[in-house]
Amino acid sequence: MLLSIEPDGPVPIYQQIRDRIVEAIARGRQPAGSALPPIRQLAVDLGVNFHTVNKGYDLLRQEGLLRLGRKSGAVVRRDAGSGPPDPGWTQDWAARLRTLLAEAAAQGMPATDIVAECETAIADFAFPAAAAEA
Amino acid sequence: MSTGTLLAAVLPVLAVGALMCSLPAVTRPTLQFGVRVPPERAEAPVIRGERRAYSWRTAAIGAGFTLVAVTVQGHCPSWVPRVILVPELAAGLGCFWVARRKIAAVKSADSWFSGLRQTVVADTRWRTDPPRFPVRWLLPALAVMAATAAVAALRYPGLPVHIVTGSGHRVPKSAVLALVVAGQLYFTAVYSGLMLIVHRSRPDIEAADPAASTLRYRRFLAAFSRALLTMAALIDASLLLIALPDWQVYRLSGIGRALPVLPFAAGVLLLGAVAARTGQGGSRLNGNVHGLAPAAGTDRDDDRFWKAGLLYVNRDDPALVVGARFGVGWAPNFGNRAAWLLAAGTVAAWASLALLGAAAGM
Repeated sequence: MLLSIEPDGPVPIYQQIRDRIVEAIARGRQPAGSALPPIRQLAVDLGVNFHTVNKGYDLLRQEGLLRLGRKSGAVVRRDAGSGPPDPGWTQDWAARLRTLLAEAAAQGMPATDIVAECETAIADFAFPAAAAEA
Repeated sequence: MSTGTLLAAVLPVLAVGALMCSLPAVTRPTLQFGVRVPPERAEAPVIRGERRAYSWRTAAIGAGFTLVAVTVQGHCPSWVPRVILVPELAAGLGCFWVARRKIAAVKSADSWFSGLRQTVVADTRWRTDPPRFPVRWLLPALAVMAATAAVAALRYPGLPVHIVTGSGHRVPKSAVLALVVAGQLYFTAVYSGLMLIVHRSRPDIEAADPAASTLRYRRFLAAFSRALLTMAALIDASLLLIALPDWQVYRLSGIGRALPVLPFAAGVLLLGAVAARTGQGGSRLNGNVHGLAPAAGTDRDDDRFWKAGLLYVNRDDPALVVGARFGVGWAPNFGNRAAWLLAAGTVAAWASLALLGAAAGM
């Protein structure tokens, strides 16, 4: 997986690390059970502080996407084929999605464009075959 | 003045001149004289002009100092030709800084990075499927060391208590034998240690072509590691050949006295050939497999972390070594305390060897 960040960009680096890993999981590039580099090594590769990578990994752990173990290291815990998430998580996500869609509408983006953007993003994700057909 | 003595005095000066002249050719196109430039500016008029001017200046410096070395050889003490390397290197550095200053000025005035998405790219497979250290390529160096130890053990009983070395000093035989083995151990340990560190450090990934540049870096690292470990074996062989006349195995005269230099020279040529073929980080290798992964933006403008365009100092970067800014190789991160310790340890070991050698009159 190629992980790119903008160190001088407006988004905090730990958030960028978290976002890129979530995208890689959704696209099937980091399936459940696959390993991510240890915190220190990823920090070296990105040229950032250890604590920054640790914060990004910890976010993913709190979201249930990553398992951090002393021996096993950082391992992806869930992916698109792991079944539906907790109902509580879905409710939170739906609220965040509404806000995101509202931002687009408030900026005057047509509904058709919003839907087209959503479809383009979804087409890039690696949903299990059965679920996609359904 | 023998031909061997003349060559020994002049060749290093000539080699340094050629090296300085050729460095821009093996450096990445996006790193011009220590200045990071976007790929679309790599052929900017100021860069082409400064590259041309640098080539002419360093060629003139190399030729001039070689002429000086030829002239003074035989008329001055033997250390003078060696000291010539210092002003020659300083003059080359001056040419580098002139070119760097001019390119940086145009880059700043025209805001080359303005509006570009500057990114840093990591390839997680570099850690989950890391490149392997070529352990087998360490065997030639170990074999030469073993051969040296065997010859030393065989010769030791038959040698007089004190040996008169090539430089005319009377030295205890144990010191002569120990110093050669210690020298071989030093070079083998430094070269293999450096490559072990480099294998654990980060690859040079170009944001404009991340997947292909990672593959090229893997090929570069494999080739350069092998060349460097071969170089360690050849240096060990040179040390053995230097020691054998002192150990009364054979005697060299005339042009034959240049024999011990041959393995070292072969190693330098090999490293130069590999560097010329691969370029820094594999930038001259074929296999521009564009389309493996989309461009992730432009490499981050990191000039502020490179002091004088050559020394990397970044306290926020945990890396111990990073890709060199000019030429082929790696540079320590002086913002990392461990890099200072590493540099100090290497210099201290070298100084100890040199002092021991001087104390023993070698």
